[in-house]
Parts: sequence; structure tokens; C-alpha cells
Amino acid sequence: MLLRQFKNPIFVILVACATVAGFFGEPDQSVVILAMIVIAVGLGFYNEYKAEKTVQDLRQAVSIKAVVTREGKSSQIDSKLLVPGDLVSVYVGDLVPADMRIVKLKDLEADEATFTGESFPVEKTADRLDVQNPTPQQLTNYLFMGSVVVHGSAQGVVVSTGKNSKLGSISGSLTRSHPETEFQKGVKSYGNMLLGFTLVLAVSIFSINAAIGHDLVWSLTFSLAIAVGLVPELMPAIVTISLSQGARRMANVKAVVKRLVSIEDFGNMNVLCTDKTGTLTEGKIVLKDVYPFGEEKDPRLLTYSMLCNAAVLGEKIVGNPMDVAIWEYAVKSDMQNSVEPYTKVDEIPFDYQRRMMSVVVKKNDKCTLISKGAPESVFSKCKYADVGGRTELMADVQKVINDKFYSLSELGYRLLAVASRSTESKTSCSVEDEKDLTLLGFLIFTDPPKKDAHEAINKLNDMGVAVKILTGDNELVAKTICEDLKIPVKKLVVGSDLMQMSWNEIKAVVEEATIFARITPEQKLDIIKALKANKNVVGFLGDGVNDAPALYEADVGISVDTAVDVAKEAADIVLLEKDLLVLANGINEGRKIFGNTMKYILMGTSSNFGNMLSAAAASVFLPFPPMLASQILFMNLLYDVSNMTLPTDNVDDEYVKSPKRWDMSFVRKYTLFFGPFSSLYDFLTFGIMLFIFGASAAALPGATDAVILHSQSLFQAGWFVESFWTEVLVMFVIRTRRIPFFTSRPGKWLTLLTLSCVAFGTILPFTILGSFMGFAPLPPEYWVLLVLMVATYVVLVDAGKVFFYKICKY
Amino acid sequence: MDVDLFTWWALSISFSSIFLAVVSIYLFVDTKSRRKEGIRKKENVFGIARNFVFVWVLLGLLVFYIFSINLGAGALSEAVFTGGNIVVEVLLVLYLLRNREKKSEKT
Repeated sequence: MLLRQFKNPIFVILVACATVAGFFGEPDQSVVILAMIVIAVGLGFYNEYKAEKTVQDLRQAVSIKAVVTREGKSSQIDSKLLVPGDLVSVYVGDLVPADMRIVKLKDLEADEATFTGESFPVEKTADRLDVQNPTPQQLTNYLFMGSVVVHGSAQGVVVSTGKNSKLGSISGSLTRSHPETEFQKGVKSYGNMLLGFTLVLAVSIFSINAAIGHDLVWSLTFSLAIAVGLVPELMPAIVTISLSQGARRMANVKAVVKRLVSIEDFGNMNVLCTDKTGTLTEGKIVLKDVYPFGEEKDPRLLTYSMLCNAAVLGEKIVGNPMDVAIWEYAVKSDMQNSVEPYTKVDEIPFDYQRRMMSVVVKKNDKCTLISKGAPESVFSKCKYADVGGRTELMADVQKVINDKFYSLSELGYRLLAVASRSTESKTSCSVEDEKDLTLLGFLIFTDPPKKDAHEAINKLNDMGVAVKILTGDNELVAKTICEDLKIPVKKLVVGSDLMQMSWNEIKAVVEEATIFARITPEQKLDIIKALKANKNVVGFLGDGVNDAPALYEADVGISVDTAVDVAKEAADIVLLEKDLLVLANGINEGRKIFGNTMKYILMGTSSNFGNMLSAAAASVFLPFPPMLASQILFMNLLYDVSNMTLPTDNVDDEYVKSPKRWDMSFVRKYTLFFGPFSSLYDFLTFGIMLFIFGASAAALPGATDAVILHSQSLFQAGWFVESFWTEVLVMFVIRTRRIPFFTSRPGKWLTLLTLSCVAFGTILPFTILGSFMGFAPLPPEYWVLLVLMVATYVVLVDAGKVFFYKICKY
Repeated sequence: MDVDLFTWWALSISFSSIFLAVVSIYLFVDTKSRRKEGIRKKENVFGIARNFVFVWVLLGLLVFYIFSINLGAGALSEAVFTGGNIVVEVLLVLYLLRNREKKSEKT
């Protein structure tokens, strides 16, 4: 991490500056520049180290866990702590944490696409293989790190981990990387813009100064200093602090950031694609209603379903979610005691072949066999149906019952059928007894809409984020949920229609549609790609095995703590609760971070541009350098230090109301407009120092070295202080569009640090350090003029700000 | 007073003010051309001139600064500088009061 600081191109320019100065007889300059390098590198390293630690801590909270058996005891540990010899269990959705030899399995299939490129899941075995020099594909009794369990479960012995695994040995070429975020693209284009400015200015300054006869070495050092002066050296540090502090704040609102650079895109996303389950719905099965075919209020249906039930009753009801839901419904309807007169005689448990369970119960010496299960399975065991209080032959009413079953299913309800028959007194029963039953009715289950989903979607819409629902369910299910939640559906597109569309048609339809139903994982990916191609910043919220590609592709991949490992691994941000309100709070934080980062970029670039422009112009007509390279660097460093607490600054409410984008044209115009303000006052200071305080004496014929040196020191001190005051104090004006201090208060740490830096800069010319840096003490009248001048400057920039936003319509 | 130095200085400060005025005009024209035809409003010369009050203040400020600095060292120069700054501040505050957006939301 320390070495990374030295790879920064700014560092290379600084070293070149120090070398040139030292080599050509200006050792003082060289020492000061080297000191700047040490401070800038130290600050950069310290902040990156802190940020890295924050991310490590946060990642730990959502790290991938492995179920390991050591010395006979099973426990869950961080998958990074596995060692060869560990016995590890994996289940559906797990990301295999190490290469392992399978010792036990049940219907195991693994997706090894990341590893072998094979797109179909591979069936695995625990048997010994007799193959000479096998390829990884032939090793079907192995599970390889990075593959995903798509079916079944297994237990295996860890053979190799991390870099020693097969994936580790070929990683780099196969590790899936996230595409560049919008923020990263923005920073890159900002860097290019800065590079352009710097090159043009530095080359022009060197050429002009050399052409008018200034010393070549001095011209080179000065132009290099101008180049460095233009660059906000601590920008990486400020961005890192912003991001890491933001990540910590986001963790407080239950959004854990795994990839820092995604924070800005998180705040700026304008489209959120999400699945239905768990976000719009509770993600929990509840019994919505009982639907008896017979009497409207037939209590038998609920009582029988409580009797034919595998849930375990205790302090908490546990077991199959549907059985639990039946009991919860009964408790809510105060029907739980209706089972008391019954005694359970025998039970035929549920199995996947029959897809039903049965019990024999006894009440008043009369035995009844009750069956409950998948409607199609129960129908096949029924001879009769209780319809409207009459017992009808099943064959006669089959069509009506089937119609009801299909219409309810299409609405997204899951159904169980309940049937019964009287049976002779017996102590045991078998599968053969499940016959000649009378169908009593359906139990209607649903995953109910989330109570706060409507509020959350409205909140997201108010924040400028369009929510699109991507679901594998049918269109009726999705529509019903939206109607229940009062979510307006602009357009609904089904997967089969999407398949027929051209790329341009897909790009058009993704903008209009709010629901995409019956879609495949590949189509999810296409929708995200199309939205991105339309210049949207796209977030995708998913938690399933098949969501991983979409999570990688989206600008911001969002998953939840309860998601499968692959989804968590692919995500940039992990929510500790699958709740859209948590997401909305996180977005708010992301926007604040982006806002503060942009403040630094806009203020730093425009101020530096203005200062360097005036330094460049002054170097042409002044008889001495307007500022020494070391002084320029020191001012930059002091300014950056004053900005260190900018990430803690308050952000105006209206700023976080809508998503923002990197807009280089805005940054450019802002720099072009606000930069010259600074230049204007720099020139004014030059005039005051030259013609009021007599620094122009250096230009008089016959001026002695002492006069020139004194004039230079006085001039440089006067400009240093004015430049620093204006650069720092104007920050309070342009950090907000409102009236500074009155309707938009800056953060307290920012105010404190900034004013401390101003105080330091003010007393600097009177100190030994100031004298070492080449400054002379300033006369009392200077301070009076400075206060007046800075006051006018601050009000002028505020007026300029009003003019800028009014004219530019930003 | 060295005339050459003063001329250089006056040219430089004028350049930065004129640069600022040119950028303002560029921003104005650029925004106008980017706006869609349908919502383009007709603006008369007086409207444009009013929009650019800020630029007139800026150029006035330039003349005043060059004038006060030209007075050179002495009490008169400092007094003119002080008085002029106060007048300019009053003008700018008036501009701000008239042009700032009416609604400001609370933080």
C-alpha cells in the first residue's frame, strides 16, 4: 500500500521538481519539496490504510462462511480459515470454498462454469475413479473452489485452498471482474481533463519564460511547480476518506459496502431492478384463506389441516413453512383448540413421490383418515368431493375443481388440498389406505405483500429511482402483487415477447416497462445491459444462484445477508435486511458521499486553475518569481489538509433528492468560470503589493539584490496569504447553492480545521518557518486591505454562483 | 512608478476580467443552444442585459481596481480602495437579494 503511493504520477513530477532544484543549486527548495512528498505520501498511506481496514471489517460482517467438522464438532467459520484435511459440508447455492474430495453426497450437481467453462451443471459422485492423469473435468468426485452447488448437498475433505487450489493456480485469467463503475469512468475522464490543462499550461509557461530570457532551470522548475500546483495531490486520499467514512455510515443503516468505488454509483443509480420475493413480498409463506367446497364456514378444513400436520409445537412453531403457516393462522383465528377432541392414531409422513401426508385420528371412537398435499396428488386419491354440502362423485365435479385450482394458481397462490374418509378403528395405516377420499377443499397460501413496500417504492421514486420488477413468476402473480401494493404498472413485458425483440426494441422497451415477468436469468442480464446502454446507472437487487451474472453486470450489485454465497460474493453492497427502505437510506448516504467528493473536485480544480493561471501570467512580467515552487506546493498541501474533513460536511437536502451523474462538461465550465475569479483577485493583490506596498522597487533600474530580495519576499508573502485566504474561505460559499452559513451550515469539523489552517497560513510569514520558506512579514495596512478585498471576493463569488446556476440552468 | 510594469499588470487583470465575461457569454449561448426548440422562450435585449448585470458589475469593479491601484502608495489610494470595495459589496448584495432563488429549503 505504501509502494502504491509512489506509483502516483504526481509523485514523479514532485521528485523531478526536487531533483531539478537540488541539482541546480537550490538545496532549500529541494528540501522543502522533499518534505512535501513525505507528508503527502504519509497522509495518503495513513488514509488508505484506515479505509482498507474499514472495508476489511465490513467485509468480515458478510464474509462467506463454511460449515466445517473438526474433531467431530460442526461449526461455521470464515471460509478463508479452512485448511487441508477439514471436513466441509456444502448445500444448494453454496460457493465451494476449497478444492475438496467428495466423501458423501446427495443428488449433487455443481456449476463449474467459472472454472471449466462448461455451462451445464456437472453431476458429481463420491465413488473412487480409476482414471490416469485426469483433467479437472474428469474428476467428478471432486468439488473445485469457485464452483457453485446447484443441486443437492455433499460433504468433502479439503485438499487445497486459496492460491494452491485449481482456481488459484489459474486465477487472473478466470476471476470474474466487475465492469468499471460510472464513478471510476468519471474520475478517469477528470484525470484526462486535468492532464490536458496541466500539459498545455506547463509547456506554455516553460516556453514563454525561456523565450523572454528567464533562466532555463528556473523556468523548468517553475513550470513543473505549476503543473503540480494544478493537481489536487490529496484527491485520492480525500476520495478514500469520503468513501470509507460513508461505508461506515452506510453500515449503520444496514447496508454493508464490499466494494468502496460502488458507493457513488449506489447513490447515483436511477434505475433499480429487483426481484419480487422478499422485497415486495414478506418472503414468508402465510395461509391466506381456507376454501371449502362444501359449507362456507366448514371448520373441518382447518381442524383437519392442523391434525394432518408435521409442525412441532413449542415456544415457537417450527417445521415445514406451510404447516407452520396453518398453525399460525389457527392461532390467529382462535381455532387452535379445535384439535383437542382428537387423538392421533397413526401417521404416513410426507414424501416427494406421493407429495402428500396422511394421518388417522380418532374422535368419540370414530376414526378418520385425513390426507393433505399437492392438489394433483390428492385429487388422484379422491373418489368424492364435498361440494355445497353434498357429496358428489369426483368425476362429475373435476372440471369445476380444476378450474378453481388453475385460476387460484395463476394468481400466484400456492394451494394444498385436504381430503378425508371415515375408516374402521385401527392402530396403524399405510399408503394403501390413501384411497376413496372425499375432497374437502383448498388451503390457500401466499407470500403476502410487504406492508412498507408501497412507502419504500414511493420513497425511491421521489428520490428519482425508477423501480423495475424482474421476476420468473407469471405476469398475473406480478400484477396482483403490484395491485395489492398500489404500484402503478406502466407496461408489462413477458420473457417470450422479449425473446422476439431486436436489441433496439429491447432498449426501447426497458425504459417503459415496470414489470418483466416469466424471464430467464439471461434475460435479466439483457435487461440490465439495455438499461446501461441507455445511459442509466443501474442497480440490481438479487439473492439467488442465477442472479450472480446480473449482480456483476449491474453498476451496483446489491444482495442481502441471507442470500446464497455466489450472490453475496458477486454483490458490491450487501443489505443486512432485504428491505427497500434500507436501500433508500443507503442511497441517501451514497449521494452525500458523491456530493462531498464533487465539492472537493470542483473547488480544488477551479481554485488551483485560477491560482496557476495568475502565477503563469505574473511570471512573464515580474522581475522575480511570483511564488517559489516550494511555496506553491506548501499552499497546495495546506489547502488539502484543510479539506481533509470535507467528507464530514453537511450536504443540502435538495442535493440528495435526485441522482447525480459525473458531468465533465459541468466540471469544465465550473473551472473556467470560477477559476478566473481567483485570478482576478490574485492580480489585484499583485497590484497592491507592487504599487501600494512598493514591491515594484525590484523593477527599478539599479535595484540592489537586497531590494530585489525584500520585494520578492514581501510580494510572495502577500500573495501566499491572500491566495490561501480566498481559496479556503470561498469553500464556504461554493459548497452550497444556498446562502452560506445562513441557510446551509458547513460541518463543524470542516469549519474548525479550515479556520485553523487559515490562522496558520496567516501567521506563517511572521515565523521562522515562513522566513525559511522565503516570506517577509507583512505591514499592518496590508491586513486592512486584505479583509476588505476578501470580503468583496466572497460576495462576488456568491453572486457569480447565483449567475452561474441561473445562466447554465444546472 | 514603472509604467511598463503597471501596463503589464493592468493588461493581466483586464484579461482575467474579460476572460470571465467571455466565459459568461459562452455559458449563456451554450445553454440557449442546448435547450430544445419547443421550450425556447423569446428573450428581448433588455432581458439579456438584465441577466448580465453581474458581468457589468464585474467590469465596473475592474475599472475601479485599476483606478485605485494607479493612485499608488499613500492614504488616498487606501481610502479610495476601501470606499470602492464597500460600494461594490452593497451592489453585489443587492444583486444577490434580487436574483437568489426564492425558496431555500432548510438543511
